[in-house]
Amino acid sequence: MSEHTHHHHDDHDHDHGHHPEPPSDVEARALALESLLREKGLISGEEIDRIVSAYEHDIGPMIGAGVVARAWTDADYRERLLADPAAAVAELHPGGPSATNLAVVPNTPEVHNLVVCTLCSCYPWAVLGLPPSWYKSAPYRSRAVSEPREVLKEFGLELPTSVRVNVWDSSSDLRYMVLPERPAGTEGWSEEELVALVTRDSMIGVARPQAPAGARS
Amino acid sequence: MLALQARTRGRWYHLDEFRNAIERMPAARYLDATYYERWLTALETLLVEKGVVTREELATGRAVTPAPQPSPRPLDDRPPLRPRFRTGDRVVTRNAHPHGHTRMPRYVRGRHGVVRTVNGPFLLPDTNAHRRSRDWEPVYAVEFSARELWGRDGDDAICVDLWESYLEAES
Amino acid sequence: MIDREVADSLPRKNGELVFEAPWEGRAFGMAVVTHEKGVYQWEDFRDRLVERVREGSTHYYRDWLSAFESVLLARGVIEPDELEARMREYKELRRDPVF
Repeated sequence: MSEHTHHHHDDHDHDHGHHPEPPSDVEARALALESLLREKGLISGEEIDRIVSAYEHDIGPMIGAGVVARAWTDADYRERLLADPAAAVAELHPGGPSATNLAVVPNTPEVHNLVVCTLCSCYPWAVLGLPPSWYKSAPYRSRAVSEPREVLKEFGLELPTSVRVNVWDSSSDLRYMVLPERPAGTEGWSEEELVALVTRDSMIGVARPQAPAGARS
Repeated sequence: MLALQARTRGRWYHLDEFRNAIERMPAARYLDATYYERWLTALETLLVEKGVVTREELATGRAVTPAPQPSPRPLDDRPPLRPRFRTGDRVVTRNAHPHGHTRMPRYVRGRHGVVRTVNGPFLLPDTNAHRRSRDWEPVYAVEFSARELWGRDGDDAICVDLWESYLEAES
Repeated sequence: MIDREVADSLPRKNGELVFEAPWEGRAFGMAVVTHEKGVYQWEDFRDRLVERVREGSTHYYRDWLSAFESVLLARGVIEPDELEARMREYKELRRDPVF
């Protein structure tokens, strides 16, 4: 696995025609931390590579979408999902990232849920991957709790006053995912077809799932 | 397959605790022998460099100085949930807290709400690095009305996850 | 390090890059792996991240890296002088940024 590479640069030819840019301060800091941690035998480069690759390729909202589509088509699964989210996610993804501390909040005709982390940007990684920039931004973090309807409007979602907005602030260990309502006009659809309607934003709560007319080409 | 152990509470080690550090290394449970050996070597080097032990002491035995060994706290040792509050209880958030509210959002300070869900227990976050004990507490999703927090009309609500010691029963 | 061309070809989720620059991915990966190894408590890291985010900076991963560095220093995993020295080596191109 890890080998000592701190003398690696001595073996390089120096191409005097090429003048590399020095790394920025933050890049140098990241490099310094990684090289020291590797040298101390605490982590390996490959381990970091695996995590980065997992979040760039494998762990993302497709996982959550699959969970939602299953819940829409299988009432027993939906019950299990609400009772023990981690176990229900693991049913569909055995050996995948652990969804411990996941909480699922279901939308109903009366209640629309919205998720935020006002303190930093905690997010249900296991089912949605890493959060988008706007989710981490100061305006979203403060306005989602103080003026959620205005935020939703900016995302293109206007809710009637007959619908309650319930915001969930992930201030402790729990990570929240919204279970959106199944769109009308999807009766008889397969799970595969339904998955395509479930957007990341609908599982954060700033949007509804796509409507059938938009998805079917 | 990637299996992120997000539950890994693990213990943390500190230079001050290197006397116990080797035995207390939580990652030893997850690593195979060869990796552990390499890490051990790196750790021993650190110990010597810090002057915590001498090479002679390392050579003769692991126990450098007899020291009380706190028992490890893997996730299995999480205490059972014994919540003080239940769903539906009316609570109010405390303004003062012995260790500081590191995880109470300011906008709910001193506000009245209703317990929606009971969770955990989870480790109470503590910015005091010198504390040795870690407290597990139930965490409640407490619902606050937008009216209570912002004076807004309507039924909208905000649920915030709060550790038990952040809350008092509404009198 | 990796130039803009390559960065633009990184996979995007919902139209956005998961990491804007390679160092962000390294910062993320390091924090996750180091935590998995039990080197620090997640809440210790998170408290520091919350502190930095509260200060109102606009660069999330810069805060993330800073919080990570802070918890490592507090735990005695690295020393300030060795970190500064190693950073200087990279800034002055005396160390190969390719591992």
